[in-house]
Amino acid sequence: MPKKFTHLRATALALGASALLAGVAFADPVRLLESGSSLLFPMFQNQWVPGYNKAHPDVVISPQAGGSGKGIADAIAGIVQIGGSDAYLSDPQVAQNPGLLSIPLAVSSQTVDFNIPGWNAAKRMVLSGPVLAGIYQGTIRNWNDPAIARLNPGVALPANPIVPIRRSDGSGDTFIFTQFLAASAGPAWTLHYGTTINWTAVPGEVGAQGNPGMVSTAGSVPYSIAYIGISSRAAARTARLHEVALINQAGKAVIDSPQTTAAAVAATAAKTPADERTSLIFGPGADSYPIINYEYAIAKQAQPSPDVAAQLKGFLTWVISPAGGNAPAMLDAASFGPLPAAVRAKSVAQINSIH
Amino acid sequence: MAGILRRVFAFRTWLAIAGGVLPVSLVIIFGFLVIYAWPAIGFNGLDFLTQNGWDPGDNYSSPVMLRGVMASPGAHFGVLFLIVGTLCSVILAVAIAYPFGVAAAVFLAEIVPGAIRSFVSFFVELLAAVPSVVFGLWGIGVISAFPDKAGVTAFQHVCNWIVATPPFEWIPFVGGDPGNGYGLLAAGVILAFMIVPLITSTVRDALIAQPAALREASVALGARRFETIVKVLLPSVRPVTIGATILATGRALGETMAVLMVCGNALGVLPKNLFAPISTMASFIASQLDSAGADTSGLVVKSLAEVAIILGLMSLVVNTGARVLLAMQTASQRERT
Amino acid sequence: MTVVQTTPSGGAPFKPQGGRQTNSLLMLRRNVGEWVGWAWAAFAFLGLALIMVLILAWVCQTGLGALKPAVFTEPSSKGNGGLLNAIEGTLVISLGALLIATPFGMAAGIYASEFKTTIWASVIRFLSDILVGVPSIVMGYVGYVIMVVTLGWKQSVLAACVTLGVISLPYVCRTTELALRQVPMNLREAGFAIGGGDATVILRVVLPSALPGVMTGILLALSISVGETAPLIYTAGYSNYMWDGKLFNSPIGYLTGAIWNLYNDQTTPGAAQLAYAAAFLVTMLVLGINIIARVILRGQQAARA
Repeated sequence: MPKKFTHLRATALALGASALLAGVAFADPVRLLESGSSLLFPMFQNQWVPGYNKAHPDVVISPQAGGSGKGIADAIAGIVQIGGSDAYLSDPQVAQNPGLLSIPLAVSSQTVDFNIPGWNAAKRMVLSGPVLAGIYQGTIRNWNDPAIARLNPGVALPANPIVPIRRSDGSGDTFIFTQFLAASAGPAWTLHYGTTINWTAVPGEVGAQGNPGMVSTAGSVPYSIAYIGISSRAAARTARLHEVALINQAGKAVIDSPQTTAAAVAATAAKTPADERTSLIFGPGADSYPIINYEYAIAKQAQPSPDVAAQLKGFLTWVISPAGGNAPAMLDAASFGPLPAAVRAKSVAQINSIH
Repeated sequence: MAGILRRVFAFRTWLAIAGGVLPVSLVIIFGFLVIYAWPAIGFNGLDFLTQNGWDPGDNYSSPVMLRGVMASPGAHFGVLFLIVGTLCSVILAVAIAYPFGVAAAVFLAEIVPGAIRSFVSFFVELLAAVPSVVFGLWGIGVISAFPDKAGVTAFQHVCNWIVATPPFEWIPFVGGDPGNGYGLLAAGVILAFMIVPLITSTVRDALIAQPAALREASVALGARRFETIVKVLLPSVRPVTIGATILATGRALGETMAVLMVCGNALGVLPKNLFAPISTMASFIASQLDSAGADTSGLVVKSLAEVAIILGLMSLVVNTGARVLLAMQTASQRERT
Repeated sequence: MTVVQTTPSGGAPFKPQGGRQTNSLLMLRRNVGEWVGWAWAAFAFLGLALIMVLILAWVCQTGLGALKPAVFTEPSSKGNGGLLNAIEGTLVISLGALLIATPFGMAAGIYASEFKTTIWASVIRFLSDILVGVPSIVMGYVGYVIMVVTLGWKQSVLAACVTLGVISLPYVCRTTELALRQVPMNLREAGFAIGGGDATVILRVVLPSALPGVMTGILLALSISVGETAPLIYTAGYSNYMWDGKLFNSPIGYLTGAIWNLYNDQTTPGAAQLAYAAAFLVTMLVLGINIIARVILRGQQAARA
């Protein structure tokens, strides 16, 4: 047989053998995959996974961003074990996927940021849900619109047109923002709420991908406004964005802070049902910040193998425990809040149903 | 082992079966797409191609029976903005790449001496091999380079200047809102860079392959060197030039990553000028596919399949047209010689 | 020897007396046109060269600045680590795609060239030309819906390799067919004459002499697989960890995916740097493969000449 072919044959056999051996030789560690919310991603990537690996170095947990829509879709298809999502499952989704759980892991919030060149950081910009609904639907076009001026008496507002920035991927941030607009503006918000909505074509409106995209786009477009998850606050401040004081249900303008989010949680967490699919948006309370939400792990009750189920339960239990993932030191890194005790108990119940 | 195989089938038959994987996989791809997208094709109808607005509907309300399919209330898909975005970006890319590519090919074929020519052409062809996502990263780097104190980048300054300066601000599709850098212009220019090497190398090869007799005859009639090129050589390679340009168009149609990173991801709006954000069919599929599974009615995934079919058909028409043209050219050249 | 003066009047130099030839405006236009034309060609070429240099210089500058030994020795999962998982993943996926594309693509190309008068050969050639034009995102979509979701393979090496393999099939087929066509007919006739059958003549006579062209096609398919991103995002997912050897149900990292995931990641420190390093590595890898393919082709042309 010609020399070229003997070499080829030998090489092919060697490659095939080594590939086989490689498949056999690797131990089979349980791998937990997470994908989804870019609000939740920094917590997973920088705090929860390294923190859990300190006590359990052999568990491999692989987080990925991509938006809450991706997290839910991947969890439904079984591509990942944990779908990270700021949005809970909808009734149709639960009906079609019985046994798919929405498990709150922590409490998070969202800020509305704006980029007005030369804005004095000491001044506060106050906006309300109806005004934001008008901005994103194109009925309020300029920064010095009377509706905005009314909320900010005595503040010099520029005459430039507002550039609304929204998410172009399936986003939990879009979900909670549009829930806020629907709850506070009522019928004035003509679009519904969800992870993907058909935004009105406001002139100059820009789409961005992920929270990092929102930050960098808002940072580079003057006179823009964007809704950004709290975990990107540091990046937003570096990009010289300022946060808006939102008018809550009691009519007061509040800034997103640990006190205001804690007040909101105290006022709204009691109505959390057993399946924990509830909105905390625009709750009552004089000091409540209006845009807070649970960060969910979307997981299947029935896992493909007992090993995976055990590892998944172990990880999720650690994440919601006050000594583990819900410790203040961990949550502060992304400005998240801990789960209230009653909600934690419900999450524990849901986690224990995983098999 | 070979003896056993030989007894079952002749070598030729084995070859035909193994070679059949290629045609069969193409049939599977298109067949699957059409069958899978059929419910969405029925749901969307012809409005799909003429309306704007990608609305998955209210996913958090109960599904209702819409046009014969259980769908989220208010679900309505129209991809005119994708078709327009794709066509605009590709036409812009070819409009930039064609003159530059042909002129560069002329320079390479006629002026650059032989030894240097193969070295330089080699470099030009390498540009065609750079992965799309690297082009996108470079594009982002260019758009966001050199920000001044207010955060306005150099590229943005250029766009602002063009929109405000007299000759340009009156041209219909150029004047108006300068945008934020991510839009049709960026996508078209990056696509142009990606397809120029295809045009240049093909036209250069065709020019070099033209018989010397053609050049000599032209010079004998008193034509200057450049006149020879423009009036004699380029017309004689016109089918190749057009064929190569159409093939480059086909490549530009399918480009995903570079466009996704610089196009601005418009949703449901047609571009008003060169600087407006757009979405192309390929970039839209890439950005929407991973969250499409969250839709319980399945219409989002299936409508994306419809977009994929339209994109595939466009590429098919463009590529087949190019090949027919090139085949005609080689046939007519064979007649000539 | 007297010089014969052909002009009727003395002194003026000879000018041909045809009509438009003496129009000095036309001559001016021709001169200017010549200069403008060459200027335009030079400008276009320099512009193209400038763009090329800019891109390659940018890739090298940002990439070399980000390259540190950890890039080659550690996976991305180790904190702010390296790209070892991405490099391994690119190699695994590309070689896997080659394993699928090479036998079937070569078989198709051999059939199309050796039995070129049959209907099946025309079918192969025609559908191969169509398959080349299918955008890779469409392939990625089909791969995602069929293999990842419906067949339940989840994001896996096998789904990625099959998708990339099908994308590369027509390139291998076409280059194999062209390379085999170059082999002179009398070589085959000699093979048949001394008693060889189809298999012997094709595999032992024709194919070895067309090997450089076939290798070029395989390397072309390899460079395409290395540079692909969109189909892989959906069929292979992305992972910061080394490959665990599983063909199903296990995402894997790859250089182009590293660029895509990392450029957007503001939270992991050093992520942007890794993205530049990955861009540099993948560009050099693709350029290297193309250079090797060209060297092989040139060697074959030299040998033939």
